[in-house]
Amino acid sequence: MLLLIAKRLTFMLFTMFVVSVILFVLLNTEFAGDPATRVLGQFASDHQKELWREEHGYNDPLVVRYGRWLGGFVTGDLGTSIRFKAPVSEILWPRLWNTAILGFWAFAIIIPVSLLFGILSGMREGSKLDRSLSVVGILTTSVPEFASAVFFAAIFVFGLQWLPGTSSMSDGFDWTQLVLPVMVLVVYDFGYVARMTRASMAEVMTSQYIRTAVLKGLPYKKVILGHALRNALIAPFTVIMLQINWLLSGVIVVEFYFAYKGFGALLLEASLNNDIALLEACAMIAVAVAVTTQMLADIGYTFLNPRIRFTK
Amino acid sequence: MHISKYRKTHHLRDPKRQHPGVAQMKDALAEGKCSRREFIRTAALLGVGATAAYNMASHITGERILPPMIGRAHGQKKGGTLRFGMVVQEMTDPATFDWVEKSVVSRHIAEFLVLTGPDNITRPYLASGWEASDDLKTWTFRLQKGVRWSNGDAFNADDVVFNFERWLDPGTGSSNFGLFSAMLRDSGRKDDKGAAIKEMVPGAVERLDDHTVRFNTNTGLLSFPENCYNYPTTIVHRDFEKQGKDLSKNPVGTGPYELAEFQVGRLAVLKKRPGVNWNGEPLLDEIRIIDLGQDAGAYLSAIASGQIDAMYELKLETASAAKQIPSINTQQIATHKTGVIRMNVNNPPFDDRRVRRAIQLCCDTGRQLEVAHQGVGITAEHHHVAKTHPEYFKLNPLKQNIREAKKLLAAAGYGPDNRLQVQCNIGNTDGNWEQDSVAVLKEDAAKAGIDITLNVMPAAKYWDEWDKAPFSITSWTHRPLGTMVLSLAYRAGVPWNETGYNNPAFDKALDEAEALLDVDARRAKMEKVEQILQDDAILVQPFFRGVFTATSPKVKNMQIHPTLYYRFHDVSVG
Repeated sequence: MLLLIAKRLTFMLFTMFVVSVILFVLLNTEFAGDPATRVLGQFASDHQKELWREEHGYNDPLVVRYGRWLGGFVTGDLGTSIRFKAPVSEILWPRLWNTAILGFWAFAIIIPVSLLFGILSGMREGSKLDRSLSVVGILTTSVPEFASAVFFAAIFVFGLQWLPGTSSMSDGFDWTQLVLPVMVLVVYDFGYVARMTRASMAEVMTSQYIRTAVLKGLPYKKVILGHALRNALIAPFTVIMLQINWLLSGVIVVEFYFAYKGFGALLLEASLNNDIALLEACAMIAVAVAVTTQMLADIGYTFLNPRIRFTK
Repeated sequence: MHISKYRKTHHLRDPKRQHPGVAQMKDALAEGKCSRREFIRTAALLGVGATAAYNMASHITGERILPPMIGRAHGQKKGGTLRFGMVVQEMTDPATFDWVEKSVVSRHIAEFLVLTGPDNITRPYLASGWEASDDLKTWTFRLQKGVRWSNGDAFNADDVVFNFERWLDPGTGSSNFGLFSAMLRDSGRKDDKGAAIKEMVPGAVERLDDHTVRFNTNTGLLSFPENCYNYPTTIVHRDFEKQGKDLSKNPVGTGPYELAEFQVGRLAVLKKRPGVNWNGEPLLDEIRIIDLGQDAGAYLSAIASGQIDAMYELKLETASAAKQIPSINTQQIATHKTGVIRMNVNNPPFDDRRVRRAIQLCCDTGRQLEVAHQGVGITAEHHHVAKTHPEYFKLNPLKQNIREAKKLLAAAGYGPDNRLQVQCNIGNTDGNWEQDSVAVLKEDAAKAGIDITLNVMPAAKYWDEWDKAPFSITSWTHRPLGTMVLSLAYRAGVPWNETGYNNPAFDKALDEAEALLDVDARRAKMEKVEQILQDDAILVQPFFRGVFTATSPKVKNMQIHPTLYYRFHDVSVG
């Protein structure tokens, strides 16, 4: 197990390194534009921009600049954002925390709801309940977030006037501002996880040992809770862990629409403004989250599925 | 250029002296050659107080003309908090501001020499008044006495000199460098690319005493006082650089508010400083500027659900929805903001006038205004002077003419087998109407055999190459005078000349128009200016835009400003 973790961590560092090099090169090409223009504005003269580039080391070779960035990153200095004109660490961590709050509440609803729906559907494949839940699940998952965000805002903000229209939390944390973003994420994602759970449950329900348990005369409730459930949850567990990855990018639309000050909105702003230090830091976070969740999925999987449990 | 040259013409500190231009303007108003608005505006620029200018206009026309309400209304309450929806951007150095939004926060902390109101009239502010020489090349500004900085220092001429010298230093990176280009000269040095480096003319800014500063310009500059309210011309403390060059970290100002909280991308909180009343006490105790991102819909949702009381701009795409909501008051103002689909004459195929003219002839300005801007605004005539500019001269209308466009294209070597194919850069820097405008032109141009590809890019990317791209749509802001924008954008070699346009005849005609104070005479000269620009076909300019804002009913006395230079001193809530 420790070996697995060590391997994964090494893999994570390697991936982060490769991604950072690729990003750095891409962000410094002609295509990405001129950082001096970003900072000094569109009306600065060429001479002014040249002075700025010289002063901020943009005229050094790419390798030197990358080395400088990497040195800073390793020692915890994430650099300075040209968009916010502030240290990246000051901006990044609070934003990531906000997204974590949003993600926590989204998952706190998605996981029980989708598991329940999936299990209920999978228990009796083809039943009326299964058909109805499947239709609901497919329908909600097919509506993209940008559409459901507008739809919910029209109902709850403009129509019923129950909820605040934006979630900037400018006066401190306010749970009512969390309702709409969480609702959009839940509606979009629960159907998918429920479908995966349903498939897994349905497969388990057709297996030999369940048939045996039923034929033995065990109560149906006991068959489901005692025998089917644990095996049926192995596949959804992995799916759920992967949804954390999805969330990091999936929140961009939701955060943008509801003006929620999270990681997704930050990533969008950094990309639109070619904010190299900020983008690099965001990418490193994304890679770390992706690899870590994968690692957790693997570890959890071994606990849930004894067949692949490690001997060492 | 030596200072003594100006000394002959200036009449220092004779407050009763009136610029001869004022008498000229009085005659023009009496003879009906200029409008009241233009009279008041110009008289104010020439140093007559705004109230006096309004009184003069009343006297001459025999009608009582009241200044539009810029003071306070009856029954406004003191105290309370205004929650204002606007992006909160970094606010390091006012001299390098590139977005008006930054100045909306800083305007309440640090102030300006003058104030230009929503009525386009420029009034004294940190400067208590000014005088211009007859040739409009020497401007003597008297400064307010008794004004103190928030750190306790007295405001004086050193502050003003420091700011001007800083703006006119190319190393500062201020756009005021171009705005006050009449105070620059060629340094004789060249940068790496061989372009000439400019520097401030020695003696262009003179400190006469503790409260008097004189500015000397190479050419007559009627708009000098007006330029002093351009958003990057905030007057910062003379020790701004020593204090760390960052207004958000060290917010020293003469204004009545202090920066209580500042988080880029999130929130700015301004709190009233006790006992600051050199210009009267403002009503609001607190102003909270709440960043709701870039999505226009978020601002509408926020005001509809009572999360904000007012917003910076109600974007066109949400304006019609806002008008349907009874709890929201919308305000509209006619401006000279516009989008020009401009062609750079140094890039083929736009080096061929026939091609440019053909593209111009494809434009149906009326349809453009209706489709791309929902009919909000006025149509333009491809010369960047609006019907509502005081010096506008009405040319023969240039209407859409597809047949003529086809003829010109054929003469330039294009036809059905060899269609003209061009790509237009779009940054949507001011809204999606930019993209819609090019899309409408694309449809019309297709009829003449021109294929326009829309190249939509992020706004930041657009500004990287805005002045170099062969073909693109650029959004220009409001300017009270037509000649101001023509000087900034179409004179040969000026920094903001995005078309590469270089026509000595145009420059000469513009010089002649700018040197005239008499609006009627200026208007006559503008015929040539507008005609040359339209005939050279360097731009397709379909319309000038109206803009909106929205407030909740509890907000009192908030007026939309044509350049969105909000100032909440006389605004109240509740």
